[in-house]
Amino acid sequence: MVPMRALRMGLGAALCLAAISCGGGSGGSGISSGPPPPPPATSNVASVIVDQGPSGNSVNALFTSVTVCVPGSTTSCQTIDHIQVDTGSFGLRLLAPVLTLTLPVETLASGSLVECTKFLDGFSWGPVALADVQIAGETAKSLPVQVIGDSRFTTVPANCSGTGTEEDTVSAFGANGILGIGPFEFGCGDCDTVTHGVYYACGTTCVETVVPVAMQEPNPVTRFAADNNGSIIDLPAVAANGAVTLTGSLIFGIDTQSNNQSGTQTVLNVDNSAELVMTFAGQTLANSFIDSGSNAIFFASDIPPCPMPLATFYCPGSTQMLQLSIQGANGVMANNLTFNVGNAQTMLNNNQTFNVFPELAGTLPAGNVGTFDYGLAFFYGKRVAVAVEGNKTSVGTGPYIAF
Amino acid sequence: MPIFKPGEIKITALLCAVLMTALGPRIANATLGEPEVTVQSDVAQLRASIESSEDRVGYRIHEIQLPDGTLLREFVAPDGNVFAVAWNGPTQPNLRQALGKYFDAMISAPKPKFADHRHLQIQQGDLVVQARGHMRAAFTGRAYLASAIPSGVNLGDLH
Repeated sequence: MVPMRALRMGLGAALCLAAISCGGGSGGSGISSGPPPPPPATSNVASVIVDQGPSGNSVNALFTSVTVCVPGSTTSCQTIDHIQVDTGSFGLRLLAPVLTLTLPVETLASGSLVECTKFLDGFSWGPVALADVQIAGETAKSLPVQVIGDSRFTTVPANCSGTGTEEDTVSAFGANGILGIGPFEFGCGDCDTVTHGVYYACGTTCVETVVPVAMQEPNPVTRFAADNNGSIIDLPAVAANGAVTLTGSLIFGIDTQSNNQSGTQTVLNVDNSAELVMTFAGQTLANSFIDSGSNAIFFASDIPPCPMPLATFYCPGSTQMLQLSIQGANGVMANNLTFNVGNAQTMLNNNQTFNVFPELAGTLPAGNVGTFDYGLAFFYGKRVAVAVEGNKTSVGTGPYIAF
Repeated sequence: MPIFKPGEIKITALLCAVLMTALGPRIANATLGEPEVTVQSDVAQLRASIESSEDRVGYRIHEIQLPDGTLLREFVAPDGNVFAVAWNGPTQPNLRQALGKYFDAMISAPKPKFADHRHLQIQQGDLVVQARGHMRAAFTGRAYLASAIPSGVNLGDLH
């Protein structure tokens, strides 16, 4: 059944890519010519793509496809494309409007388990359900996943809705789901003992609750039968002015197969907040991170921001070449990395079909100077490994990021 | 000022407790765009346990600690109105109370072009909301009324 499903998924991905290529027009695509290399027989490689996303409004967002099945079933299955690959969150979350399956919801003594996921820009409300999940050839059985915007749970508690904008539709969320594969097992370190307004038990009303660890949504990689110690994102380099799309690989496991061996890369452990120390423009920024889910390179600077509606991004008069050093929690340094900051308005206006922008940089409010957030552009032209906490590889012990 | 680490929050909480005792009934809590009046019910609404206030040059800060460890600061102008609120903590706090009538403006604002899930930048009329954060780390943000910032107050101080 597994090879069959893998075949189906590969076909689905190919069709999906073909459709995207047709829709993308002739804008100077970043896809390299020639057919992609054949996947290894062991199928720990999922195809990933940076494109405009299902909302049509994404830039620098990386997507893959995931197959979900009702637990135990080999027929009640669905392959969902445009699941965002996010090293800055943990767990698989699916948007109910694209889900055709009815997945069984986890229940506590006091009611159904429903989550208020607080992504910074809004909240997503929906139950935690079980699914057999397959990505490439890797399978996680009875995996807790969140179903965002599930029509069975429409009443959002005030404490959840009061946190911001509701993002329970594909257009509001910007993806058909999100695959959180950061360097930890869980997004919440202590939700089994403390309520953070995250988990609710919903009977006649919804009440905040603690949740046993086994019922929380884990980083799916950690629940694969094999290749479960981390993952590698491998993306080609892209021209300075960008590209329509960019395709690459999401490889599961580190040092578990011939295609995911560690080499001579720099291994930076992250702290318990999944953060690193970055030194930029003479400042030491202790709450910094590398994040495939951030769509630009974000930092505080005197570079002028763009006018609305692009005020999040920088619009320098000419391209700025800047320098950055990164220090891991293990003391290891990656020194003098350079990056360019282009004029966001110009790059977005000049190539309106493009969705890949390696020189797109964004603002952080002045006063919040402790952070440098290096988004998906960091991954362009690199092979970046993310090792999950507690896992030993040939070059270190997770949580780490290596490149 | 850097992000508050848990240890610092504890120290702040202690200081707050001391200040609360010292300042007694002077303590007030208010909502963005509204007068600085003593609204004890706000603290109850937010289930906050610690509160303090501090006078700075040109404005006053009220500090409220929410049960999950989030620190909420409200900035009061000399005219007696709250012109900014800022927050820092393990999750995005319930902003409906702190933003008051501006909360609806925040959530009805058009989604910024090319948004992601780590950053928020809203400018809706006079209201500006900026925030950032990610799982396992601090969520930091602020909301202010651009026209209500007292002269001499630096945007960089509103955190």
